[in-house]
Amino acid sequence: MAYALVALGFVLALNAAGAVNFAHGDLVVLGGAVAVLAGQMTGLPAPLLLPLVALVLAVAGIIAARISILPLVSRPPEATFVATIALAAIVEQGLTFGLGAAPRTAPALAGSGSFEIAGFALGRQPMAIVAIGGVLVAAVWFLLERTQTGRRMRAVSADRYMARAVGIPVGRYIMLSLALAGALAGIAGLLLGHQFLVAPTQGAGHMLKAYIAVALGGWGSVPGALLGALGIGFFETFGSVWLGDAWASAALYAGVLVVLAFRPQGLFGEPVGRRA
Amino acid sequence: MRALGPFWIAILLLPPVLALTVLPPFGQRMVVLVGIYALMGLGYQLVFGQLGALNLAQGALFGVGAYAAALAAPALGWLALSVAIVAAAVPAAIAAGPILRLQSHYFALATLALASIVNLVAIHAEAVTGGANGVSGFASALPRGSVLLAIVWACLVMGVLAYSRLFGGRLGEEARLVREAPLVAATLGIDGGRWRVAAFIAGGSLAGLSGAFAAALNGVVSPDVTGFPVMVLCLTSVVVGGSRHPMGAVLGAVLAVCLPELLRDFQGAWLLVYAAATLAVVLWAPGGLAEGIDRLRGAPLPVRPEPAVPERLLPAAGPQRLVLADVAKRFGGVEALSDVSLAIERGEIVGLIGPNGSGKTTLLNVICGLDRADSGTIKLDTAHLERLPPHAIARHGLGRSFQSNMLPGDTRSAGLARAISTHAAFLLLDEPAAGATDREREQLASLLRRLRDAGRGVVIVDHDIDLLARVCDRLICLDRGKVIAVGRPADVRANPDVRASFLGLEEAVA
Repeated sequence: MAYALVALGFVLALNAAGAVNFAHGDLVVLGGAVAVLAGQMTGLPAPLLLPLVALVLAVAGIIAARISILPLVSRPPEATFVATIALAAIVEQGLTFGLGAAPRTAPALAGSGSFEIAGFALGRQPMAIVAIGGVLVAAVWFLLERTQTGRRMRAVSADRYMARAVGIPVGRYIMLSLALAGALAGIAGLLLGHQFLVAPTQGAGHMLKAYIAVALGGWGSVPGALLGALGIGFFETFGSVWLGDAWASAALYAGVLVVLAFRPQGLFGEPVGRRA
Repeated sequence: MRALGPFWIAILLLPPVLALTVLPPFGQRMVVLVGIYALMGLGYQLVFGQLGALNLAQGALFGVGAYAAALAAPALGWLALSVAIVAAAVPAAIAAGPILRLQSHYFALATLALASIVNLVAIHAEAVTGGANGVSGFASALPRGSVLLAIVWACLVMGVLAYSRLFGGRLGEEARLVREAPLVAATLGIDGGRWRVAAFIAGGSLAGLSGAFAAALNGVVSPDVTGFPVMVLCLTSVVVGGSRHPMGAVLGAVLAVCLPELLRDFQGAWLLVYAAATLAVVLWAPGGLAEGIDRLRGAPLPVRPEPAVPERLLPAAGPQRLVLADVAKRFGGVEALSDVSLAIERGEIVGLIGPNGSGKTTLLNVICGLDRADSGTIKLDTAHLERLPPHAIARHGLGRSFQSNMLPGDTRSAGLARAISTHAAFLLLDEPAAGATDREREQLASLLRRLRDAGRGVVIVDHDIDLLARVCDRLICLDRGKVIAVGRPADVRANPDVRASFLGLEEAVA
């Protein structure tokens, strides 16, 4: 479910910017790191840290947009790719510099322990992740599909020039999308940070998974990205049982190559005329 | 871009000469490292710089080369270097076909997935790669010390000179067209697909070779050489140095090697500085450091010759007739062309008229292969064109100009000049007079007459019916995808159907 949040933020940023944000994975790590630091400094329990982390990362998302996305909107997507890769390296190195390379643990959301439903042992933490993930996904869906703000965000991603022509302040909505993407990344970072620890070098991995989820689920499609993320989650869980962690990942990447070789437009296609 | 001047050649030769004469062993090692990174970057420039495709597998191919050299060296000695080239070129060649068709974002993802697989194999296939411990004990079989330095820099100098020579001329212009206006490139007969495959394989080979040199320098190969940081280093150094300038990779490599030494007291800070510099270059100086230096030196900017119509139009060889029979094309539920049949001879100018959306541009696209006809035949003499890709059609002797300028910095006539310069027997011109002044229209009219005199067959789409009536031998009027009138200009203009569908407005006013 946390992957779903990563992928959701990724696809929002993607649609708004019209190009892949390679720094998204590092925003996730940054979220984890902020959670670690804030947890240590304030001693707040994790549920209270959540909004704090989201807020900080929303600001980080805006900064990312101002630095590496907005100035390049009129250039080919490769320029944004390179700019965000550089940004990702800056975040990663900054974190290594500030925190050290050793992994840290983010505070747990709902304490440890587990309870049983119908004979299945369920961990509190995973349950909390699923619950929060579900609520956030629903909230984003509501925002995009049922509010004027969301309609405008979709308009900006569908056709930036047309949106500008009908009077939508495009730059502001791109920043809003990136802020939302950043907040989602931050929350995902906090959620993942307890289970998988927080280390500066994880960013590329998060980004790659979100990238794959979006490519398989249909470029630019929000539900597609969620499906793709859940699919990857299942694949990793079961694949690693059969093949071991590393080979499961290798199989995933090989699968991506095969899919792209035979379906260059992604598993479920993409809207005609849309390109990153 | 043009051939390197003495200034750059001096800079290129400076490091190896210094290293062999005055530098201590440590400095020599750094110079070798610069050469290695520069070689990898030079290969990267082919795909990223010249074709503008974000390839994220270059670092992995570098690693493949390193492993191949390390594993082959004990048995083969120096020959392991060529094994490394092949080892990197083969996966590049295999992957090239399917991967290079992809759009930019999928291309980046596919190369990233490829790189991740290489990295995982390096770490986990312990039987072959030695896992995390890596491979060692092969160094004595490979060139070392100043011999290695001489070989690395000889390769690099040759590579840079060849690169600047190749891309200084026609090839550079072709690359620009493939990169910035793939459709124009195709209609000029440039095979973009072959171009990309060649660049990808050549770039991969250079990565493999530089990886082998890195193995020789370090004496040990660990999974780190296949990791993403190598890729980021390669990408950032090429961007900072200049992604297309022949010296870009070299300058970037110099920085990438020297910065960590200068900032040694700050440990990881150099990467931070480097990444920030990359960002700054992308934002403010897309040409990179090398072009910046050229500008500071006051070196004359490379003048891109404006494509001009040749002074004398020579008679073109090639096919004599262009014949369409029952050509149909549907877009979803819209019948863009239905059963269009027409024949055009050499030395004939045919004007294509019709209201907006009547299928004029679609007809041109179908003839030159940018759109596929659903049915019907299109032939140049006896050669069928229906199933050929655009560049192959162009090579059969069919040129095309586009409605709008497809390249930044082009003037209106540039596209026209390009199409004519291919010496195509038949030309399809899409609204060459759109937005032109009266004088330019006169020039266009006389150009069309010259084309006729030189024995070219011309199909021209335009809204200036008076211009067409003056120069065309025949007019063809399309309406909703159907040919509703063909004949001498005066007859077509007088045709009641044409007046109703196309000139109706005139009549209403009159």
